[in-house]
Amino acid sequence: MEHNTLEVRGLTVCFQTAKGAVRPVDDVSLKIPQGSIVGVVGESGCGKSMTARAVMGLVRSPGKITGGSVTLDGRELTSLPEKERRKLRGAEISMIFQEPMSSLNPVMKVGRQVAEAVRLHTGCSRAEARAKTLAIFREVEIPEPEARYDCYPHELSGGLRQRVLIAMAAVCRPKLLIADEPTTALDVTVEAQILKLLERLRDAGVSVLLISHDLGVIARVCDYVYVMYAGRIVEQAGTGVIFDRPQHPYTRGLFRSVASLREGAETLETIPGVVPNLLRLPAGCSFLMRCPSCPARCENEIPPLAETEPGHAVRCFLAGKEGAT
Amino acid sequence: MRRSIAQRFLQALIVLVGVVLLTFVMLRVVPGNPIETMMGEHADAATVARMTAELGLDQPMHRQFLRYLSSALRGDFGTSYSLGKPVSLLLKSAFRNTLYLALFAALFAWILGVACGLVCAVSKNRLPDRLFLGFSLLGISLPVFMAAMFLQYVLAFKLKWFPISGTDSWRGFVLPAAALGWNSAGQVAQMTRTSLLETLQEDYIETARAKGLGRFGVLVRHALRNAMLPVLTLMAIQFSGLLSGAVITETVFSINGVGRLMVQAISGRDIPLLQGTSLLATSVVILGSLLADCLYSVLDPRIRKEG
Repeated sequence: MEHNTLEVRGLTVCFQTAKGAVRPVDDVSLKIPQGSIVGVVGESGCGKSMTARAVMGLVRSPGKITGGSVTLDGRELTSLPEKERRKLRGAEISMIFQEPMSSLNPVMKVGRQVAEAVRLHTGCSRAEARAKTLAIFREVEIPEPEARYDCYPHELSGGLRQRVLIAMAAVCRPKLLIADEPTTALDVTVEAQILKLLERLRDAGVSVLLISHDLGVIARVCDYVYVMYAGRIVEQAGTGVIFDRPQHPYTRGLFRSVASLREGAETLETIPGVVPNLLRLPAGCSFLMRCPSCPARCENEIPPLAETEPGHAVRCFLAGKEGAT
Repeated sequence: MRRSIAQRFLQALIVLVGVVLLTFVMLRVVPGNPIETMMGEHADAATVARMTAELGLDQPMHRQFLRYLSSALRGDFGTSYSLGKPVSLLLKSAFRNTLYLALFAALFAWILGVACGLVCAVSKNRLPDRLFLGFSLLGISLPVFMAAMFLQYVLAFKLKWFPISGTDSWRGFVLPAAALGWNSAGQVAQMTRTSLLETLQEDYIETARAKGLGRFGVLVRHALRNAMLPVLTLMAIQFSGLLSGAVITETVFSINGVGRLMVQAISGRDIPLLQGTSLLATSVVILGSLLADCLYSVLDPRIRKEG
């Protein structure tokens, strides 16, 4: 049996707002086998970042994890006291964020920001921390690491800053690295380099949870993909499978709305309608309002996430049947 | 960086000369004869004329100005009409008192203000936040003379912990500094709170948390320095304000400071003294903002580069 670095089961995050309870993450289960890159894809606000935050234990008040479990190498995290969680953060689970421009402290030298993580988790001396930082800088291919160590964030390009952030996340050899839209703010050539870097980390044994709305990114590096919609997982499958035969109408819509240069398509296809307000989710399937073909059953009943073939599960009553298009 | 500081110095110098010129001209343009004010209604015309000539007030204005400027550069600001002493001497002793008062008040205000702001920010919208926010609001809205008299009544008159007035020892400065600093403390507290709360929303705070830093570590190592940048500007403005004389506080606690000296000069139409005090106040304000600029660029590497 393969070993899962991360297992999330039935994770639910709830925000009590003045207008009622909102669940940006609703009964999400996913697992990341050791040494693989698993993608979570979905549009803005679908709960993918919140899922990552919940795994990190960084859900901001008034948000709360109200159900489910998160285990890292078999160790339950949701019930750990904050002090223990903190020790894991940056050491065993680390995270890189979407905005390399603003994710580094502007008044602190980048080298010291990375070294801070080293000293925090290993308690080693300044000199050792510096040496480790320089080593990881070399590993993530930051040119002239000694000179970059004493740079301030504003003196570096976006790509270099993201490398610094990856270095910071990887310096303590975490078991799991969560990358939340790591390339969204970068241009395409830099994106390719960053993705290559993630693959290299994977090859070194780090499991990666890659969050993106960019199907191109997902297709390039992920081994397995989860599609999220309105807080729930609506489809999951191996990358090849899901690109080959998507089942859920939302997944299909996503794939169709990717701009393609090949077929000379004149207009960009879109999914009609908007993401439902999480405060007023329909009683049944949350994709109901935008679905091109919904039977009456979908209005009152949430479809279960059901396997249509081994390793491929879909949350749709019509999945696997003809006429689901 | 060095160039920009040199530039700032030059600008400061220009402002200084401008202010001297402006006060100089204004004092001579306003109606009323300072000699007549000085000698009373019954002075005879001959004496007034003699005095005017003696003080050089009959000369054309540009010549008066050049003469003033050249002696000012040598440290001679003239002799006070009403007090009969050299202005530089009067300024020196008044500035000493004002400096002590300002230092005490600033120390009180900044330590208290930053601490309050910090507590407020970490306990946002909970009891400590509301409590300290109320305290700082009181400081901002309470007129200084009321705060002064309140402190004087309770701590000096009733409890006899501190002298009611006078500056014989450092104890005499405590109450005036508290009364004066309360207002500044309130401002600093509110600014610190707002700035810190804003900073805590920044992405790099999230990074720091993801690194494994605890609440305290994030606050001290990443949030505070960034949040203090705007507060620092406020502090510089406050300090130069405090240094240019606190008329009300000095009056309530009978401290012979720059503020009182200036009032004396105005009511006595004492031209040399008035020029001296306003020159001092201006220099202090300019120096304060210059210092803040330098400090700012030390704290924020982004500014260092632009210079």
